[in-house]
Amino acid sequence: MSKHPNQATLALHAGGDLGPFRRWLTARHLAHCTACREEVAGYNEMRELLPELAELPEISWNRMAAEIKANIRLGLEAGECVRTAETPLRRPASMAGWRAAVAFASVIVLVGGCMVLERPVPVRAAETSVRSTGDGIQVQAGDDRMLGLMNGGAQKVVYTLDAQGSMGARYIDPETGSVTINTVYAQ
Amino acid sequence: MHSKLINRVALAGFLGAATLLAQDAPLANSSVSIDLPKDSPVAFMGMTTGSSRTSARGAALVLDLNLSLTLRNISANRIHGVTLRVVSQEVAMGGVGSVFQPGLDVGPGEVFPVHIATKLMRPAQMAGGPLLQVNLDGVLFQDLSFYGQDKLHSRRIMTASEMEAQRDRSALKRLLAQGGNPALRDAVLKILARREALPEIQGRIVRGHTVTNAALAAIAPERPEQFALLQFPDGPIQLLRGSALIAGSEARTPSIEVANLTDKPVKYVELGWVLTDINGRAYMAGSLPSTDPTFSLPARGTTKVSQQNSLEFSTGGKPLSIRKVTGFVNQVEFADGKVWVPTRQNMESNPLLLQVMEPSVEEERLANLYVTKGLPALVDELKKY
Repeated sequence: MSKHPNQATLALHAGGDLGPFRRWLTARHLAHCTACREEVAGYNEMRELLPELAELPEISWNRMAAEIKANIRLGLEAGECVRTAETPLRRPASMAGWRAAVAFASVIVLVGGCMVLERPVPVRAAETSVRSTGDGIQVQAGDDRMLGLMNGGAQKVVYTLDAQGSMGARYIDPETGSVTINTVYAQ
Repeated sequence: MHSKLINRVALAGFLGAATLLAQDAPLANSSVSIDLPKDSPVAFMGMTTGSSRTSARGAALVLDLNLSLTLRNISANRIHGVTLRVVSQEVAMGGVGSVFQPGLDVGPGEVFPVHIATKLMRPAQMAGGPLLQVNLDGVLFQDLSFYGQDKLHSRRIMTASEMEAQRDRSALKRLLAQGGNPALRDAVLKILARREALPEIQGRIVRGHTVTNAALAAIAPERPEQFALLQFPDGPIQLLRGSALIAGSEARTPSIEVANLTDKPVKYVELGWVLTDINGRAYMAGSLPSTDPTFSLPARGTTKVSQQNSLEFSTGGKPLSIRKVTGFVNQVEFADGKVWVPTRQNMESNPLLLQVMEPSVEEERLANLYVTKGLPALVDELKKY
């Protein structure tokens, strides 16, 4: 049996993210390796079972990389300015360390800032939505709760979603004993 | 010392004011406006606001309304359905709902209740006028004639519901005539069991496109999924092909191409869609209506039914991983106002539909009558009309 691909390769294979040649090599290995096939199946199951990971924020890696590069340049330039303004250094080794520390701290601050700024960006655009809640249906504009129609106390509620942008709740109203259908529209 | 005391007094005053602002207050009757046209077939007899409350939260008013309306049929016809339009902040966005009371049988001069429970927020500075408006959107009579503004398409919705009611009521009456009380009881027990076994689904609809992010794309890449199509051989519409974009628990931009098999132009088609999750469990997800104002389906013609919104589904509080989507024709309205709904044979010959379709409004109403008042009351009800 050939050498097992590493975990990263199997994960990328499960996601269909390997290049053509490595995909072919990995598929060839999987054809006769039960253990690796199980690993890949595990990754596939994980992909199915963790849709909540969809809520992770989008990170603009290109933007972050560009900003890191720019900041490193800025740090180096700042270092240059400091050096020209100074009298000849008596202890060049320690001052070089100070400049590196300034540049490094700047990078850390920038990276941290990027991550903080990226994180709260909502995954979805500002939106009007209708959702079922525990006791009714509610229309929301961003975080603002607008109109909601409640079915509190009803034992069995059937919700229906209309792709046009409304949601219905059908139930037997405990107060009147009648079948009632509430609908809320996202306008 | 003196300034500390002033600060404490100011803080106490501020907290006291905030508490007062957040206190609940009963709802004044003038807070709700019931508007019925002069020629309305129903008259407003009265309203109790029960446990309704309003409370101020900062610059907003929170309303928790629990309204019991009493209406009287002042027309010469029997009323079989009423839809009320519930509006808050109509000038702003996102404040329209409806309460549809199907399965009525209200004779001339008789009164009937409508219960509206609603929660809403609105800016406190708009508190001068009524907080909530209730209008009559439509009334459907026993002969399928209609009255109303129909802003919410209540004519079509109530007509389709009434046709389903007539279909299922007739089936139960046939069973009663052929098999007597035992056959009727068996049928009602099956309806109750079907309702109880119905898989629960919750959801969220987002207007327009969502922004699919990199993490979602990595974990559950969006994929076009072809609709599996359920055809009704005797139906007026044939489904040709369709697809939706699926990513995990989200489906968006569903689109189905349909063909009109009749010689009558069609003005509305509603497609039901069934979702199957990765465990093979099926759920009735909702409907895909042809509400585009430009929709047109000429006699013997073809067209596309599509929507641009995104729908997210969950069950038991967990996202539903969509594996398969199945579409079928749920409702058709012709240009002449006639409405088609699937026959019982259409439904019963499809195991998937039997598994996911909720009982009709009439089946649910009659089964509830059996549960609350017993078989004799149900038999009496079926003999009424």
